[in-house]
Amino acid sequence: MELLDIISPLFLALIVGGTFVGIVFGAIPGMTATMAVAVCLPITYSLGLENGLALLLGLYVGGISGGMVPAILLGIPGTPSSITTTFDGLPMTKKGEGEKALRIGICSSLVGGLVSLLILWLCAPLLADFAIQFSYVEKFLIILFALTVMAALSNDMLIGIFSGFLGIFIALIGTYDISDGGNGEIRLIPPGLDYWLESGFALLPVLIGLFGLAAILEEAERGVPQSQSAADVKIGSQSTFSFSVFRGQTVNLLRSGGIGTFAGILPGVGGSAASILSYSNAKTFSKHPERYGTGEPEGIIASEAGNNGLTGGALVPLLSLGIPGDSTTALLIGAFTLQGIQVGPLFIGNNPVTWDAMIVAMLIANLAMFTMMYFAIRHIARIVTVPKHILFPIILMMCVIGAYTINYGIMFDVWTLLIFGVFGWLAVKLRLEIAPFIIGFILGPSAEVYFVKSLESFNDLTIFFTKSWIAIVLWVLIIGSVAGSVALSRSRQSTTADA
Amino acid sequence: MTFTRRFILAGATALATALPAAAQELPGNVRLVIGSTSTGGDTYQNSSIVADALAEKLGINIKVDAVGATEAFKALDRDSRGTTLMIFHDQSYLGNLYGVRGYQDIFENYTVGPTVAINPGNAYLVPKGSEYQSMDDILTAAENGERVRVAIQPGGVSEIGFSAMKNAARVRSEGSEENIVAVNTGSQSDKNQTLFDDLADVINGSIQANEQFTQLPEDDQKSMRFVWITARPATLEQAPEEGMGDTTRDQLLQYASPETSVTLDGEEDFTFDKEFFFLYNPEMDEAIVEQIDTALEEIYAEGEIQERQKASFFIPNFLPSDEAQEHLREKRSTYDEVISQISGDNS
Repeated sequence: MELLDIISPLFLALIVGGTFVGIVFGAIPGMTATMAVAVCLPITYSLGLENGLALLLGLYVGGISGGMVPAILLGIPGTPSSITTTFDGLPMTKKGEGEKALRIGICSSLVGGLVSLLILWLCAPLLADFAIQFSYVEKFLIILFALTVMAALSNDMLIGIFSGFLGIFIALIGTYDISDGGNGEIRLIPPGLDYWLESGFALLPVLIGLFGLAAILEEAERGVPQSQSAADVKIGSQSTFSFSVFRGQTVNLLRSGGIGTFAGILPGVGGSAASILSYSNAKTFSKHPERYGTGEPEGIIASEAGNNGLTGGALVPLLSLGIPGDSTTALLIGAFTLQGIQVGPLFIGNNPVTWDAMIVAMLIANLAMFTMMYFAIRHIARIVTVPKHILFPIILMMCVIGAYTINYGIMFDVWTLLIFGVFGWLAVKLRLEIAPFIIGFILGPSAEVYFVKSLESFNDLTIFFTKSWIAIVLWVLIIGSVAGSVALSRSRQSTTADA
Repeated sequence: MTFTRRFILAGATALATALPAAAQELPGNVRLVIGSTSTGGDTYQNSSIVADALAEKLGINIKVDAVGATEAFKALDRDSRGTTLMIFHDQSYLGNLYGVRGYQDIFENYTVGPTVAINPGNAYLVPKGSEYQSMDDILTAAENGERVRVAIQPGGVSEIGFSAMKNAARVRSEGSEENIVAVNTGSQSDKNQTLFDDLADVINGSIQANEQFTQLPEDDQKSMRFVWITARPATLEQAPEEGMGDTTRDQLLQYASPETSVTLDGEEDFTFDKEFFFLYNPEMDEAIVEQIDTALEEIYAEGEIQERQKASFFIPNFLPSDEAQEHLREKRSTYDEVISQISGDNS
């Protein structure tokens, strides 16, 4: 069968439909691209391989992109990979630039998606060979590099780092799982809570608790008059979108898309790390890093180009090694198996038409995502004009449903949402910093596994410096990032002192 | 007033008689939890096939939830009405034999239901350029005092073959089992990576995930070679003749017993089939157990489910609850013996 025979009206409709459903899933706090793919996976059995993949890839691209909507408008990351979008997205919305921020995010997502698609198309097998040069040691150093963003995101470096380590500590509560090569034993659990905490706290309920519920509690405490809207502003009242905002951002766009792709090709590094690494790099190389976190378009560009860059990257190990790059592509293996197709190092050579169909599907999904979101955004952005007494109960309900369904119906996840909602509300009063906390929480478990496995494998601490040239490059980046953060912190302190 | 009292009495009597009757059948909405958190893995896939067929046969809704072993056992503990059922595989009792936290004795604490299928893919591989070309080479190396590192995920299906290797080494030459050592890893990706990084000499893998690596040329860092497939030959013989990828069924059989021998006791070979089966709350009504047995018996007699299972490289294997319990108890007893023989040597 030739590629042109595959690109039928049904094929196109499935991509567009999948992208739309994916955007809806991504835009609802607690619903993710992974969930969208999981829900639709059984349907693909009757669709055939290429049509099934068209649907799933549309869902994947749409789901990752849709996460930016609540991240920017409400400060709640729709998916874990859009967490860094909240840092500048919400401040822009509060300044009345929600629509502009969304358009920046949509354009960046498109570029990030296309960059990763191009890299996937041209170099998938080569990249897979490169990816296997990353052992536990190099993966630990990448996670360590991503963790350095904790310092850069902190208003007060000391408190920020403390908050980050607190996040790591809480993330490690539970079992050192045998599925990670651990010993299956529990740790850090207070007496009497073994039954509840043996699986630890799940990421998404923590995320939406900290960013969603905590904000609602804060607003409730403030007691806002009914007439006011969620963002206290009229949408697009302050500044309108123009493509000139991307002037001077070519490097940021390409670098962030490339970093996202790179994070995707490394199994186990994870989607959240893609946007965190992109954001961290953009801040390190920015001429005005002090503006990050205050509503800086560069931050949204980096975050969204990074997380959409992941989409192509995560397919590299899947299609070249048979190993998924993230949780969503893990489900795609199911689609292949349902059709009796093996994925592994021979997949691309043995299935050229399917491979081409996937590339075409990804391209169309990215374009469909851009078209749908760019032109509908004016209406989507109006969500911030809905009165809070109507909006917040709906958000709360969606958060609870999302938390309950994320791990297929575990009630403790709802309790996690509520606990971390209250924690987030209290943390602000205690001057703890939420952004470094959540980054520590996301990256802590991977850091632990790769650190322990490195030591188990090599039994020597110097291996982190001597393993390979990749390790040396990563150390240079880590030192650069830390030095940049220290310089930024000192400059902030001197500005405060002058004022 | 009299009417009201009579009415209430009649209602209560009707309810009392209706309740046990209702409890004897599966409810209209059933949650099927599985012991894996992956919705792309073999447990989910096989459970979905069985759930679809069962739901259609009984005219009910069955939703498969990939909650993982710990949460699945908790969900099963909470519900004796038949609203929550579980499907898992040999990990459910191997986890208990290896002393993994959260795994109780399933034969004591739950009702073991019917088996539904086998994944015959459990395998062990070496780099294509390895000095070890076969299991015999590996066991001989251990006998000669060479340290052979085997990458596994500890505490279950991945470890049982490793335990069998150690046991075979012990049978061949007492003490040589200490030269076969575990490299504890996690996912298949991690196990493969240990081979690429030369941190392991042998890895646990599967026919499905690793076959394409065996087709790569020897000078490719990623190339591998099967040395052992643990499935019983009778199981593997039921796989499609074309096998998997470019490896035919006959070629696969070369890596399984009796062609490749990993002895259990000097006479018989060790074999391991990864079997999927139902688990129920021990308090669940016996009538529901029978209802599921009967429904599955009819489904397997119709023959359609076998086609779906074979298309996904599963071997259909329906055994009603009683037979399944006996079969799995026997299997567990064999593996318990293997683990006991080498206990204390798993360094």
